[in-house]
Amino acid sequence: MKKLFTILFVLAVVAASAFAAPKEIVFMDSQSGANFQQWWQTIALPAAEDFLGVKIKYVVGSDAEIIERMKAWKAGQGDITVLFPKSTALFIKTSQVQLENLTTAKVPNMAKIDPVLQTSTEGVPVANKGAAYWFSTYALIYDSNYVKNPPKSWQEFYDRRAEWKGHIGFIRPDAKSSGGWRQPFAFLNAFTDFSKKFDPNAADFQAAWARLKDFYTYCQLPLAAEPTNAFENFNAGDTWITVYAMDYSLWSARQGTMPPTTKAMFLDPGIDAGGQAYLVVPANIPEENKQIAYKLINYLLSDDQQSRLVSTMWQYNSTMINDKVPGIVWEQIPKIEVAKKAAIPPERVNADAIAYIKKNAVNIIPK
Amino acid sequence: MRHLRSQRREWLTTLLLLLPGFAVFLGLFVYPFIITIVLSLRPEGQTTGWTLEYYTSFLASEHGRQVIVLTFFLAIATTLFSVLLSVPLALVLRRKLRGHRFFRAVPLIPLVVPGLIGALGLLLVFGSRGWFNLFIRDVLPFIHGPIAVNYTISGLTLFYVWLYFPYTLLTTLSTLEGLDPGIEEAAQVSGANPWKVLRHVVLPLIMPGILSGSVLTFMNAFGAFSIPLVAGGNYRPLSVDVYKQIQLFVPAHWSQACAIAVIMGVLQVVFLTFYMRVLRGRKVK
Repeated sequence: MKKLFTILFVLAVVAASAFAAPKEIVFMDSQSGANFQQWWQTIALPAAEDFLGVKIKYVVGSDAEIIERMKAWKAGQGDITVLFPKSTALFIKTSQVQLENLTTAKVPNMAKIDPVLQTSTEGVPVANKGAAYWFSTYALIYDSNYVKNPPKSWQEFYDRRAEWKGHIGFIRPDAKSSGGWRQPFAFLNAFTDFSKKFDPNAADFQAAWARLKDFYTYCQLPLAAEPTNAFENFNAGDTWITVYAMDYSLWSARQGTMPPTTKAMFLDPGIDAGGQAYLVVPANIPEENKQIAYKLINYLLSDDQQSRLVSTMWQYNSTMINDKVPGIVWEQIPKIEVAKKAAIPPERVNADAIAYIKKNAVNIIPK
Repeated sequence: MRHLRSQRREWLTTLLLLLPGFAVFLGLFVYPFIITIVLSLRPEGQTTGWTLEYYTSFLASEHGRQVIVLTFFLAIATTLFSVLLSVPLALVLRRKLRGHRFFRAVPLIPLVVPGLIGALGLLLVFGSRGWFNLFIRDVLPFIHGPIAVNYTISGLTLFYVWLYFPYTLLTTLSTLEGLDPGIEEAAQVSGANPWKVLRHVVLPLIMPGILSGSVLTFMNAFGAFSIPLVAGGNYRPLSVDVYKQIQLFVPAHWSQACAIAVIMGVLQVVFLTFYMRVLRGRKVK
C-alpha cells in the first residue's frame, strides 16, 4: 500500500510538472533595431513579466537562422514562444515552417487591429499567421539646417536632386537593414505601377530603373553600408536628406546620434512598403507555451501597451485606439491617418519587384 | 601477462582522457566543416543531389574574382604594414622607459575592443568633421576641404592595421625580450654600429616572432568581417559576401554562402601552406 502511494505521489508530481505553466518563455526578435531592442528589454517585456507572472527571455536572432532552427523542430519541441520577425512574409512563404493561426478567440485584442494591416505584408497574404503589432512609417528625413524647402513628392525630389547632390543619404541595396530595398522600392513605385504583374522588361519599369540608377549618382557616395553609417553622415553634416524609418530617426535625434535639427515629412505617392511588424507563434512548440504566447500577444495589443508604443517610441500602434493616445503625441509626429495615407497601398507592394530589387539594385549603384 | 594488462589499462585511461577533447574537436570543428562542404554541394534548399554550380558561378564571375583579389590585397597589405609598424614599436617598447607599462598596454587596446565598436570609433575619428580632419584643418590650413579616409581602400587598410597589428607586435616583442643581451653586446664589442647590430644580429634573431605574428595578422585580416561591413563602403571582401547571401536574399542562399565560405577556407589554407613552406625554407637556409 505504501509503495502504491509512493508511485501515485511520484506520478502526480510528474504530471503536475508536465502540465504546469512554463516558468520561462522565449521572445525571439529579428525585427528590431537598437531603439526597439531597448524598448523590449526595458519597457514592454518587464511589464509583461509582471502581468503574466512568467519570466520572458529576450533573444535577438536573424530570420535565416531562425528558419533553419524551426525546420528541425518536431511537434512540441520548439523553444521560441513568440517571434517578432524581420520579414513575416518569409516565414509565411517557407513551407517547412509552421505558424500558429492567430484568431480573436485566442487573442481577443486582435479584434482592435486595423484590418488593412492584417491583409498582406511585403505582398504576401498574412492569413492570420501573425498579429500586427506596430505600423512603421518611412518618411523624408532631413536636416532643417541645410534643407529649408524639402520636396513634397518623389517627382519633386527627383527633379531637384541636383540641389542636394552628394548629400542624399541612401543605403546600399545589399545592406542588412530593410532600408536597403525599401528606399529604391518607394522610389520606383513613384514612377511605375507595381499593382500590375511585375515584369522587369516592361518599358515603364525600365524607365523607372534608369531613373533610380541616375538618382543613385546624386547620393552621397559610397552609399551607407547600414543606417548607422547614414546617421553618422548626418551628424557630420555630409548627409542632409534621406528616406528612412521615422520612429528610428526621431528616436536617434533624441539620443544624440542624429542632429537635433532633424525633421520628418511624407512624400507623395507613398513612401513606405508594408512596414508593419507582426508577432507570430510557431506551431511546433509545447501546448502550454502557446497559451502563454496568446496571453503575451494579447497584453502587447492592450490599449495601455499600444498607447505607450506611440507615445514613447513614435511608432504607430496597430490597434485602432487613437482616441486613447495622448494628444501631445500628434504634435511630435503626423497623425496616424496622415501616415496611413503616405503608405504605399498593399496592392502595390509587389513581392516579385522587391525580390528583383534585392538581387539587382546592387549592380546599378555607382562603384 | 600483468604487464600487458597494465599497458592496456594505461592505453584505456589515455583514450578516456582524450575522448572529451576529441569529441569537442569532432563536434565543434569537423562536423560544422563537413556540413558546410555538403551544403555547398547541394542544390539550394534540397537534401539530395550534388552540384558544383555555386563554385563555378562564383569563381567564373567577375564579381567573384574581384572579391577574392580584394580580400588578398587587404590581408597582405595589412600584414605588411603591421610588420613595418610592429618592429620599430617593439624596439622602442623593449626599453624600460618611464611609463613603459602604459605604453605597452595602449597598442593592445584593439585586441579587447570589439571590431564593430572599433570600426565605428574610427569612422568618427576620420569622418569629415572628425578629430583627424579638424586637426588637419587647424595645423595644415593650406589643405582645403576634409581628407577622405572613410570608405576608401587606404582608409580601410588603415582600419585593418589598427585592429590586427597587435598580433605582430606581441609576438615580436616577446621574441625580442627573450633575446640574450650578451649577443648584441658581443656584436658591439666586435665593432658593429647600432644599425649593423640591428640588421645583422637582432632582426634575424627575432624573425621567427615577426613571421609567426604576421601569420596571425594575415589570418585575422583575411577573415575580417565587422570592419569591412561597417567601414568598407564599396570594398566588401569574401566574409561580407558570405554574410550577404544569408542576410539579404529571401530565402537565404545557404548553398552559395557555404560555397564562398569553402573557397575562402581553401584559399587561406593554400596561401598559408605556401607561406609556411617559404618560412621553413628560410630556417633551413
